Amino acid sequence: MTSRRDFLKTASAAALAAGAAHPLLSWAAEDFVPIPGKDGLIVRSSRFLDLETPVEFMTSWITPVNHFFVRNHMFEPAKLGAKAWQLSITGEVASPLTFTLADLEKLSVHSVVNTMECAGNGRSLQNPKVPGIQWGKGAVGNARFSGPSLKTLLEKAGVKDSAKHVQFRGVDQVPGKVPPFIRSIPIDKAMDADTLVATKMNGAPLTAHHGFPARAVTPGWAGAASCKWLAEITVLDKPAEGNFMSPGYRLPNASVKPGEAVNPEDTHSVTGLTVKSLIAAPSDGAKLRPHAYLIQGVAWAGEADITKVEISTDAGGIWNEAKLGRDQAKYAWRLWNYNWKPAKNGDYVIFSRATDSQGRVQPEAPVWNPSGYLYNAYDQVKVHVQA
Amino acid sequence: MSRPSKTRLTKLNAIILTLAVLTATAALAGESSPNSNSNSNDQSSAGPAKEKAEAACLTCHEARIIVQQRLSKPAWTKEVDKMMKWGAEVDPKDRDALIDYFSANFGPDQPACAAPRTATQSTTQTKGKK
Repeated sequence: MTSRRDFLKTASAAALAAGAAHPLLSWAAEDFVPIPGKDGLIVRSSRFLDLETPVEFMTSWITPVNHFFVRNHMFEPAKLGAKAWQLSITGEVASPLTFTLADLEKLSVHSVVNTMECAGNGRSLQNPKVPGIQWGKGAVGNARFSGPSLKTLLEKAGVKDSAKHVQFRGVDQVPGKVPPFIRSIPIDKAMDADTLVATKMNGAPLTAHHGFPARAVTPGWAGAASCKWLAEITVLDKPAEGNFMSPGYRLPNASVKPGEAVNPEDTHSVTGLTVKSLIAAPSDGAKLRPHAYLIQGVAWAGEADITKVEISTDAGGIWNEAKLGRDQAKYAWRLWNYNWKPAKNGDYVIFSRATDSQGRVQPEAPVWNPSGYLYNAYDQVKVHVQA
Repeated sequence: MSRPSKTRLTKLNAIILTLAVLTATAALAGESSPNSNSNSNDQSSAGPAKEKAEAACLTCHEARIIVQQRLSKPAWTKEVDKMMKWGAEVDPKDRDALIDYFSANFGPDQPACAAPRTATQSTTQTKGKK
């Protein structure tokens, strides 16, 4: 039989849920949002779809598609059929070409395991706050992308000497007068054999949320360089123009004081990712028993390699090297772990700090910029150890 | 002491439920901050600015994109002007009221906004069974 206390508890919860249905700005405050194919992700927005991977999921080298973050600026294209889809290559080429999905599938397949991170990952940790999706730590994942090298397609079209940049345009649906999501990458990166027109993710055809039927994958670079639902490739004699090249996705050339305005002329485009680590376990706020505990996480460095991950369990006093995981690939994150034996009961602040092959080290304090891009300060969690 | 009959218990439970609902509703109505409770988003005092914000913004995106921001008034001004340029239907005479509304309710001093999760297969199945 339900006790009166339990009953009251249940009734209050029901009432609170009912109360929450009278929303501010008509937004739903439900606990769970059904998004088929995406399990247990944090919903930053359901329209447009922006989903974040909880850090506690980051204990496997390959992120399963159902746990992979989603960043959309616009509406996903409705009913994009594999048969009707075409990819054009125009601009500074000898012979403009159009490819169908069947054409792409005849080309030799190249696979790249790439850690893809949204440029704005960690934005909510910036202070003062900046506008944009307020990502926590998890707009990042590691997947195996497969498809022809972009270079193969460009060579078929014949790139002219005048080519400087390669522009991508997807067929996501643009609302109102919002500028379309058009960006370009330099020709050298476009001609790198690891830059793909990917049709598969973790061995299966791309899902709609990840750009079916084909997407650019510009490995080691911020996710914005990996255009989804790719339909137009334009070879240009200069960088693309438009909102998502400027003022979007730009960093100050010199460090700025937090909150300071930056002259657009003193900025450059976001390209490669920086060095970064995250702690997947224990979770922030966890209560642990005073036994041996495996601190685990991931670390990545864009186009560079992770050389070292260090852990401090006393908020930065003493640092010890973590053991790097066996799995590795050029643009992929490394798993790491550190076997910790808490000396006594109490509160602990655990830091992780990665170093890469270019000598870059995660900074203690975040590097602030007006759009909150490439946050990479030490990761930290606070835990309580009690027998 | 005699145990209450089943009928009496049901009536008692009904009264408790009513009281619980009233108490919880009153607590929500008294909220002045939109996010002081992770599940509470009531803003009954917002009035016409709230309706205008809904009409202007929610055609293109959901409100969660707004309510997660924690911006100063100058930053909200830039956002409102950008969105008006991008097609948000705002009567120019309502611009300042909208900026005031966003700045007052989604400013830097508000606590962080809780986000829901996508349902996992297990939660979907549980919900389906209800």
